[in-house]
Amino acid sequence: MGLIQRAIEASGIATVSVSMLREATAKLGLPRSVFVRWPFGHALGEPFNRAQQLTVIRNALAALYAPAPGALVTLPYRWRRERYTELKDWVLGPGSGAG
Amino acid sequence: MRRGRARIAVDRALGRAFTRLPLLGRLWARTASVRTSARIPWTPFATPVAACRAALITTGGVHLRRDAPFDMRDPHGDPTFREIPAATAVTDFRITHDYYDHRDADRDVNIVFPLERFRELVERQALAGLTARHWSFMGHIDGPLVRTLETVTIPALLARLDDDRPDFVFLVPA
Repeated sequence: MGLIQRAIEASGIATVSVSMLREATAKLGLPRSVFVRWPFGHALGEPFNRAQQLTVIRNALAALYAPAPGALVTLPYRWRRERYTELKDWVLGPGSGAG
Repeated sequence: MRRGRARIAVDRALGRAFTRLPLLGRLWARTASVRTSARIPWTPFATPVAACRAALITTGGVHLRRDAPFDMRDPHGDPTFREIPAATAVTDFRITHDYYDHRDADRDVNIVFPLERFRELVERQALAGLTARHWSFMGHIDGPLVRTLETVTIPALLARLDDDRPDFVFLVPA
């Protein structure tokens, strides 16, 4: 997937991805990604857990505004040991990914 | 060369083991050859999400039931992609990918291809819209097919993205 992401970014379209392999992502050099330490096949979480899936998406969208190439944000969520709540603040723009 | 039945069974079992035991996957990734890139491509981005149109890409082997499944016989994988119209009902999806355990994704495709979640973001006006079509790959591609991916598939994808003009692309692996 990394080759695809790099090619799209190089073509002039901003990209962000979810990563399940931190070291491989860092080595390959992707413009922006958020890392989850979860089982393969579950990049956005568990089936039918909307709040969990939206939490990953919101974090990834915030990473769009990362200040420099190679942003790899490690998300703090543990597999099946978190409680997710419905997110209300979806206003994302410059400054959202500064952290 | 085609994968025989025994090889397919072994690959599926490995895929399930990787899914159940993430440590195995990380060990595999440590030994797998991943290219190291000095230069990271970069397109500056400052548009608020609420003003953006997004395109989604998955490498989870998702495709429409009526479309040809990904080729699972070639041990190097299938370097092609499938087009997914934005209005597709989730019941119209199928996953063909022997290298991860997709039983959960079969039940809820959003965990590898979050089309419904992105539609919800458009409904609540957090996102301006989605492009009319999205894209799916089968992420297990190696050997000589990596070159096919780079020289044939990716240029074809870029031409379509150039037509659709998303403000950003969101990629999800399996």
